[in-house]
Amino acid sequence: MKTISINHLARVEGAGGVTATIDGQVVTEVKFLINEGPRLFERLTIGMTPEEDLNLVPRICAICTLSHRYAALRGLEKALKVKVPAKVTLLRELMHLGEMIESHSLHIYLLALPDYLGYPNAIAMASKYGFEAKVGLEMKQFGNHIMKTMSGRFVHGENPSLGGFGRLPTREELVFIKNRAVQFLPFALKTVQLMCELPYPDIPESDTLYVCCHPAEGRFGFMGDEIILSNGDLIDAQEYKKVANEFIVAHSYCKRSHYKGKPYSVGALARVNNLGERLGGEAGRAFKKYFNDRWKKNPLFNNAAQALEVLYSFERIPQVIDEGLQLPDPEPVARGRESGKGVGAVEAPRGLLFHAYDISAGRITQTDIVTPTAQNAEDIERYCFIAAQTLLKKGEEDKIRDRMDLVIRAFDPCISCSAHMVQVNQAPDGDWKNRLRQLASEGEPAFVGLGREDRSDDAAGLELARLLRERGAKDVRLAPEMEEGSGPADSGRPLVFIDAVDFGDKPGKICLLPLRHVLWNATLSHRLAGLTGLPFDADRLLDAHLLGIQPASIAEGRRISAEVRSALDGICEFLSS
Amino acid sequence: MRKDKLKIGIYELTGCAGDALLILDCEDELINIFHAADIQSFLMAKSDNIDGELDVALVEGSVSTEKDLKELLDIRKRSKVLVAMGICATLGGPQAAFLDPKEWEHNLKQVYGQTEMTHTKPLHSKPLDAYVKVDYCLPGCPIDREQFLSTLTRLLAGHPPELHRFPVCVECKWRENDCLLNRGLCCLGPLTAAGCRAVCPSHNLPCVGCWGPAEEANRSAEYQLLLEKGFDREMILRKMASFSGTRFAEFAARFRGEKK
Repeated sequence: MKTISINHLARVEGAGGVTATIDGQVVTEVKFLINEGPRLFERLTIGMTPEEDLNLVPRICAICTLSHRYAALRGLEKALKVKVPAKVTLLRELMHLGEMIESHSLHIYLLALPDYLGYPNAIAMASKYGFEAKVGLEMKQFGNHIMKTMSGRFVHGENPSLGGFGRLPTREELVFIKNRAVQFLPFALKTVQLMCELPYPDIPESDTLYVCCHPAEGRFGFMGDEIILSNGDLIDAQEYKKVANEFIVAHSYCKRSHYKGKPYSVGALARVNNLGERLGGEAGRAFKKYFNDRWKKNPLFNNAAQALEVLYSFERIPQVIDEGLQLPDPEPVARGRESGKGVGAVEAPRGLLFHAYDISAGRITQTDIVTPTAQNAEDIERYCFIAAQTLLKKGEEDKIRDRMDLVIRAFDPCISCSAHMVQVNQAPDGDWKNRLRQLASEGEPAFVGLGREDRSDDAAGLELARLLRERGAKDVRLAPEMEEGSGPADSGRPLVFIDAVDFGDKPGKICLLPLRHVLWNATLSHRLAGLTGLPFDADRLLDAHLLGIQPASIAEGRRISAEVRSALDGICEFLSS
Repeated sequence: MRKDKLKIGIYELTGCAGDALLILDCEDELINIFHAADIQSFLMAKSDNIDGELDVALVEGSVSTEKDLKELLDIRKRSKVLVAMGICATLGGPQAAFLDPKEWEHNLKQVYGQTEMTHTKPLHSKPLDAYVKVDYCLPGCPIDREQFLSTLTRLLAGHPPELHRFPVCVECKWRENDCLLNRGLCCLGPLTAAGCRAVCPSHNLPCVGCWGPAEEANRSAEYQLLLEKGFDREMILRKMASFSGTRFAEFAARFRGEKK
């Protein structure tokens, strides 16, 4: 068995990684792990005033801080019937375009492009592609400048508030942004050409459902009161739970979402797939030139879609500012009511984001926040699996690691996927000894033998337990002898089950692994049905380990094979020394 | 000169990564930083990271899982100087606002139900100094780039950093802002550590306290003042707690006690 793992994706709204497990010719497991601890933001908002909520929730993520603030504003304003003046809506669009430019240009030039050009990182890439690196950095800085002007800070600015802004940007500030945006246009065009003409590999390709906001008036854009699906369905954002039906997986504090039982994708590619026909100007021309059917099934085209959105954003900024400057400065707006429900949907750079609030007498009673990475998590795992399995079948196992890396980064789960900390882990021979030694350092292990006496090598666990007892080991049990309530008394000591386990390896192979790994893995777990009748609670089982021995045969009979016999002797010898 | 460069590592535990992002936003200075110091590890910026002996470790985020804790202990062991960056690292962050472990556990269950988390055990969020010795604290949510650069420069020169020891009000007066408390807004400026250049009051918005408590803040006086101005008692306490993390515990306990 072999494990390919990408350990430090570093930031996926926290720390994350991907692990693929390869067993012979089968990819038995792909896991997208988010190691971020629980922060319980939704619970923290309960009892808060809407203003306090706005102070708090952007802190969920520094990269998408303004998208979080925007979604929260839209949800709260809907709940409280706040009529947002037209100029405020335009200025919010401007701040949002700034975040799109910042996030997309950082991702395209500094994180994704080095992959496609064959460099380990942007600094290495800059030696030959200095111009590209410089353009990327300048665009990002300009995005940051817009965000700071509109929100007050680079990160977690508090300026956008209910119904308006604490301080409106001055005419000079807006004109400066407009002029700079116009100057950037040729570079945005070059970005599109570069990213749309890359030779994207055709593994993985698979159909999926794309979901994004449906902007009003037939326009392209990054917010809307409806959600549009690539199958044509339209859903009112207030009924977002029809799409984002969150559930929990045990290996991550990031929740997951399915639409009608199937994973779906959100992000730039979803937006361009669903709304690309609506793009006008240079972005529209580029869409017509480059878009084709592969964009509908290959997640790597997300990078091309981001480039189109960068161009769209630079074309849109002068329009937004021109329109905004013609409108009078808005008066402060009052709330229409103090109680109500509201859902705010916006497109964060990496996809659809919902903030849903229930407010009663000016205090929040219920909050639900669904982030884009939570919605993409299932498809990230699925496309990684397809990539790994397809390459394995083609005999290109050596490409799996880099390809999975490429897929994950294409989804843009968050910025420091720049870290190429990909590892292929292969355990050394006899690794079980090291692991058992390490376990014993936490306390003397208690052993429990599992198995079936009349099934050849499947009796290995029971046989080993008997052998250990004969040699005078104290805390050794046989599963068939155990009754309810007779578990080892000292629960602080490591618990080790011994059993025959079909790893798909050569007979006599010994592995020590956490029992939870086996419980997760459907192909191995049926072999451990015997555990369910034992007097251990779930916590104890999840912390336990399994010393597994690969059987030669588990046919009916009472003969233990020579290979397994020799493995048992080896374990006995090791344990008595 | 080159071989004497200080070895520096930048790490993220549980948080929003805003402080690491802010370092990345120092685009112009970043190249100089990379020249002046030997950046051994910075996951957000580079790929060839090494986990070895360090002169200075800059750590953001709170300890919220066993994995965070393990990483922190390891970083401490390898580092001569450890700097906590941002309020998650210095105070436990917003995620530490449930002060009572029972309340925290209840809310954890409300979010994640009965699902046993298999990858890493959650811990009630705490700042770094709950587990290891922290040499310097850079407050802020996020940290301020000028303060970060000056701290780093001083550390590179072998001097201890100099941090602001006064509240936001001082910076607000420097900017000649109209006092928002006088305008009837629930402003936490008098309680909050300075360093943000009073950014919110300068945008006509009350200070929310996101830099955490100033060293000698007089909480009781501000509490009384806000009560007199007619603000809801629970809201005042909650606002004070939101970004103060574990530092708020003693004060909160006193008031909760009085209530009973």
